[in-house]
Amino acid sequence: MPRYETVFIARQDLTVEDLDALTAKLSKIITDEKGKIVSKEYWGLRSLAYKVKKNSRGHYVLLNIDAKYAAVAELNRVMGFNEDIIRSATYTVEEHTGESPLFVSTTAKDFKPGKVSVKKEPSKIDLVLDQVQFDV
Amino acid sequence: MAFQKPNQNNAGAPQAAGDENYIKVSLVNQSVFIRKKKSCPLRTIPLAEINYKNLRLLNKFLSERGKILPSRITNVEVKKQRALANAIKKARHLALISQIKKDLTTN
Repeated sequence: MPRYETVFIARQDLTVEDLDALTAKLSKIITDEKGKIVSKEYWGLRSLAYKVKKNSRGHYVLLNIDAKYAAVAELNRVMGFNEDIIRSATYTVEEHTGESPLFVSTTAKDFKPGKVSVKKEPSKIDLVLDQVQFDV
Repeated sequence: MAFQKPNQNNAGAPQAAGDENYIKVSLVNQSVFIRKKKSCPLRTIPLAEINYKNLRLLNKFLSERGKILPSRITNVEVKKQRALANAIKKARHLALISQIKKDLTTN
């Protein structure tokens, strides 16, 4: 089955429980159509680069999906009229990658704001990027 | 201004002697310095890593105003420049990076 990844931004005043319920509700649309949710990622309450529907911050959730197009189309339709979701996007991918650089936790409930994040070692890409500089 | 043309009159200039961007070519009765072709800065990074989630990478290839830098300046190879442009546009749609930065402090 084709692989997709869906990112949606939920309203900032949603509680953690509401957000997880919303994610579960959307996941159910895929599983009902015999699709599979490969992995879920919560990217935290991030501040948006510009205001979206009068929100300046939002919860980011990423779903890695392995399902038929019909299931994804239904998901997009539901996300379109859900008032808690301020922005969403679905992209086709060749292959699902592991944890993205924005990864915070798998579900919103696991995320603890006070917890000091463990400083990751710079990846190979970061080392390359440190040398990249342009004089514009 | 930001868009200065690179100085192309340097070929053969004596001050280029110690510069590693130039290569010395000996002709019959004179030597000329020719500008080396710069290689792609992303040559060691696989194409799959250039996606909209890798914000640190994308921000390297944006100007102060948030515009995509042309490959003429960055020397990114064609396939990766295309992937980069698509990734930046996806990240803009998801409000991960701004469409344009207007409140720049003017010089």
